[in-house]
Amino acid sequence: MSDLIAWSDDYFWGAMVVLKIFAVSLVMAVAFGLIGATAKLSKSSIANKIASAYTIVFRGVPELLVILIFYYGSAITLTSIGRVFYPQTQFIDIAPFWAGAFAIALIVGSYATETFRGAFLGVDPGIVEAARALGLSNLHTFFYVRVPQMWRLALPSFGNHMLSLMKDTALISIIGLEEIVYVAEMATAVTLKPFTMYMIVALIYLSITTVITLVMMALEKHSNRHLEGAL
Amino acid sequence: MNESDQKPIIILEDVCKFFGDFQALRNINLQVKKGERVVVCGPSGSGKSTMIRCINRLEEHDSGKIFVDGRELTSAVKDIDAVRREVGMVFQSFNLFPHLTAINNLMLALKLVRKTKKSEAREIAMRFLERVHIPEQADKYPSQLSGGQQQRVAIARALCMNPEVMLFDEPTSALDPEMISEVLDVMTDLANEGMTMIVITHEMGFARNVADNIVFMDCGQIVEMKPTDEFFENPESERTKLFLEQIL
Amino acid sequence: MTFDIYLIFDSIPKMLAGIGMTLHLLFLSSFLGLILGIIILLMRISGRWYLSFPTFAYIYFFRGTPILVQIFVIYHGLPQFEAIRDSVFWPILREPFGCAILALTLNSGAYVSEILRGGYLGVDKGLHEAGKALGLSTPHRFIYVTTPIAVRLAIPAYSNDFISMLKATSLASTITLLEMTGVARTIVAQTFAPYEIFIAAAIIYLVMTWFLQRGFGLFEKRMSRYIKLSEA
Repeated sequence: MSDLIAWSDDYFWGAMVVLKIFAVSLVMAVAFGLIGATAKLSKSSIANKIASAYTIVFRGVPELLVILIFYYGSAITLTSIGRVFYPQTQFIDIAPFWAGAFAIALIVGSYATETFRGAFLGVDPGIVEAARALGLSNLHTFFYVRVPQMWRLALPSFGNHMLSLMKDTALISIIGLEEIVYVAEMATAVTLKPFTMYMIVALIYLSITTVITLVMMALEKHSNRHLEGAL
Repeated sequence: MNESDQKPIIILEDVCKFFGDFQALRNINLQVKKGERVVVCGPSGSGKSTMIRCINRLEEHDSGKIFVDGRELTSAVKDIDAVRREVGMVFQSFNLFPHLTAINNLMLALKLVRKTKKSEAREIAMRFLERVHIPEQADKYPSQLSGGQQQRVAIARALCMNPEVMLFDEPTSALDPEMISEVLDVMTDLANEGMTMIVITHEMGFARNVADNIVFMDCGQIVEMKPTDEFFENPESERTKLFLEQIL
Repeated sequence: MTFDIYLIFDSIPKMLAGIGMTLHLLFLSSFLGLILGIIILLMRISGRWYLSFPTFAYIYFFRGTPILVQIFVIYHGLPQFEAIRDSVFWPILREPFGCAILALTLNSGAYVSEILRGGYLGVDKGLHEAGKALGLSTPHRFIYVTTPIAVRLAIPAYSNDFISMLKATSLASTITLLEMTGVARTIVAQTFAPYEIFIAAAIIYLVMTWFLQRGFGLFEKRMSRYIKLSEA
């Protein structure tokens, strides 16, 4: 018990890192998903192909491998760019936080692409026509009519994507991000109680995913409120 | 052809059924004799469907008694199975097994329940498909058949178990108009052969042709039950008159 | 920076040394996970609280935590207990391979039982009733009516889960197993050419994913020939 108290601060700050990376990559993932879905639905065959390649690659390659490629790859790229300007450059490193956040956002974004694509297709075309007939611009129709309608259909799957995103954050510890898995590793080395220390990590993740699930349930109810009493 | 001297094959005594607080059936009393054809009609939500679903225990009644061929329906599994073997049912939505061809739909219960040998089951099934005039569709899957053909397969599937009584739960309501008659023709043939039938339907032409008695239900009650001619010519209750005006 | 495209092709054969381990992990844990998933599903729908309650807790835990953490709890964590070190399972749990299989199996079991449950819930209620009306017993209805339909409904989700499992096997590299990702990491440590080596590994995973998707696609087509025929 005293071990737990001794490490509680570290776990707390580790959990904060997890939440921070979750928030950052969630925003990016939604953006990638919207861009990807729009590209898949666009009439341009080049955009279609790029978007398909994106979803095939990021859904088919292990998450860990994607993170490793981004982390080590970006370090190499940045270092060689640096050497062009300052030949004495030793090594430029990108923070694991950003390499990791970007990697998992791209992965989850590729799943969100498919979800959003399906949801956009589910929006009644009549509603979109009505918006156009009222004189709304393309952009306005997209953000004020299509996205809100699509969102309701996408929500259940998107909830699952959020859970995946949360769980993927654990992988970033492999490239040295000091979040809770990393804390557990440190704590184990000192206390020699690996089960306790890793189990705490599991329970922290479990409580965060529970909160996400509850929030999603509330959101689904909220976004379907206009249907209440209709059936 | 009222065979009034015969013992009733189906008896419902003061049957009540609740769904939560909602009372779906209120003290239903009904007797159906062997060979009798009964048509049940009434507005939707009047309890028609619930009543016939209680007869083969797809729904459990909450009070009262139901007898099928002298056997009381209780929660005893053995009795339920025995009753279901004697009572065939045809559903509004056909409910054919989508993963089985037409003939396999017929053969499944023959093999599993009647323990018929495969070759023999195939023969029996073929005979019944001929009876509903679609032997050529035997090896097609339900999704390849029209609604009318599917419903005829469903009728054949129930018939090949050789039931004493057939229950029809709005068998033509899900069909396109041009397919209704092919199903009603099969049912009329069946009636002429002397099958005991309880049919929920809004097809009043069929009712007039085939039914011995007509039951009118509303709000979970049997409002009126009369021989067919009398029912149409001189309905007693206001509710029946109103209903007939709307439907005819 | 030099990006050596030949290094990609040169490293692929070396990487194939890890494929055996990757497939071994994938198929063994998916097979065990399928069996576990079926058992969990049967417990869950048994209608007995003392059977169904533990399945809720199990599914909740394994779906709510990262696989990496599950692997670490099992591999690093379990030896904390003397009882486990003295038990008959120690020869398995002492080895990273056994731990990886255990973690992946437990994870897969939780997801598979949910996927199968989704399939069973998707079966039209009217078909149950038709089976009942024909006098089919509960086991007969389960085997001959519900299961074939539920299995077909579950294939797309199961195929996605199978591919997730393929990707999850890469996590075994974090507990020293030399499957594909593990081999790739070793080569990177020697050559320090992360782009070329990791991209080579990614290509192999993509090829494997493609084959798996094809395989499941054909299986689904076969299972749903009764639907496809009418649409054609």
